Amino acid sequence: MDSTSDKALMMKVKKGDLDKLGLLFERYNRPLFSFFYRMCKDHGTSEDLVQSVFERMLKYRESYTGSGTFTTWMFSIARNAHIDHYRKVKRSAVPVEIDEERLEVEEDAPFVIDQKEQKKNVLEMALERLDEEKREIVILSRYEGLKYKEIADILNTTEGAIKVKMFRAMKDLKNLVTTLSEECSYE
Amino acid sequence: MNEKYEQLIADYLSGSLDAEGRNKVEELIASGEIDFMEFRELEKMHENLGSIPIPKPGKEMSDRFYAMLEEEKLDQKDNWVEFVSKKFKVLIAELTIPRLAYTVVLLVAGGFIGSQINGSQSDIEQLSQEMQTMKEMMMVNMLEGASAADRLKAVNISSELPRADSEAIHALLFTLNNDASVNVRVQTIEALKRWGDNEVVREGLVRSIAKQESPIVIIELADAMIELELKNGAQEFEELLRERELDYTVQQKLQSSIAALL
Repeated sequence: MDSTSDKALMMKVKKGDLDKLGLLFERYNRPLFSFFYRMCKDHGTSEDLVQSVFERMLKYRESYTGSGTFTTWMFSIARNAHIDHYRKVKRSAVPVEIDEERLEVEEDAPFVIDQKEQKKNVLEMALERLDEEKREIVILSRYEGLKYKEIADILNTTEGAIKVKMFRAMKDLKNLVTTLSEECSYE
Repeated sequence: MNEKYEQLIADYLSGSLDAEGRNKVEELIASGEIDFMEFRELEKMHENLGSIPIPKPGKEMSDRFYAMLEEEKLDQKDNWVEFVSKKFKVLIAELTIPRLAYTVVLLVAGGFIGSQINGSQSDIEQLSQEMQTMKEMMMVNMLEGASAADRLKAVNISSELPRADSEAIHALLFTLNNDASVNVRVQTIEALKRWGDNEVVREGLVRSIAKQESPIVIIELADAMIELELKNGAQEFEELLRERELDYTVQQKLQSSIAALL
């Protein structure tokens, strides 16, 4: 652990050197925003939740022990912030609806680009439709680069269970893409 | 599909498979136990996920964070003033007769010696000396406290002492070698580093290496050795590497520290 490692910085925050939290913010505000945005698809809510994570880091700094990776600790806080937020607004059970407009092809745009864009949109919507637990695992692994062991620590389960869920999430995603592509082709 | 194969594919997708694992996947595909078409589709899907764009957060998010941080820093400052005055009151309230007598004797003796040694020493300097004595006493008393938070605060008080005093140094070295809390020990190293030109401190830090079990404390000591250019630390680290089964990260850190010290 060098003096600029995440753990060392957080230990300094714990000891009262609050400016070091600024360095951690600069390192992690984008990954956290990306995590929240991919989970809730709302720009404002994602920004609020990033703020909430750093507020919690300050509030609970005394309880930081430095065990495990810093990102595991940070994403555990992020996950709780996300759960608390959706408990409050009672939106966690709202199903994601297909955005029909995003599937439409603009008439005057070149066909090749449209098809590529359309595929991307379909994949994005398939990810939104994925079961929340599996979506969370895909986001943490694929976008945030966390190891399966780290995700298992965050979700309080085993590494093997996470790997199986990741495989099944990718399979579900593939089926959702097929369904959505078919729906799209009927229009 | 067999759960083991599912786990293997998940590892493949995340790029965490070694050559042996990749060979295993290829063998399973060749034997038909893993469906090649499905495998390719999943691989492509995993790759395509990277193409989904993400918007950037606004500048306001950053502004909000720094405003919150500034507010917290102000609160912390207020709390510190409150804490010191509270601790001082508690200390005064807790002073037993012998301790009180000791304090008075120290103050009087300090004042007397000060006036004898240097008649021209100003009142402000005398007061400063007395304050240091008081702070040292407060620190040494608090270091013996039961609460780790109090001991941590005691270590922090040492940063207010302008000069190294042998009693304070010994108390801090004792804490470094014996305190149950890792945080207290880490903070003690920071405190001792300020007196890094004192021989007792330098020797004490090097000797402490062999007494530490916590990887965090060992790493903090490694940084201190480099910062204070304590070359003797290299030998101690080499012994640690030989005698103990250390965590891989700690091993790496110690090896790089040894290279830097030699």
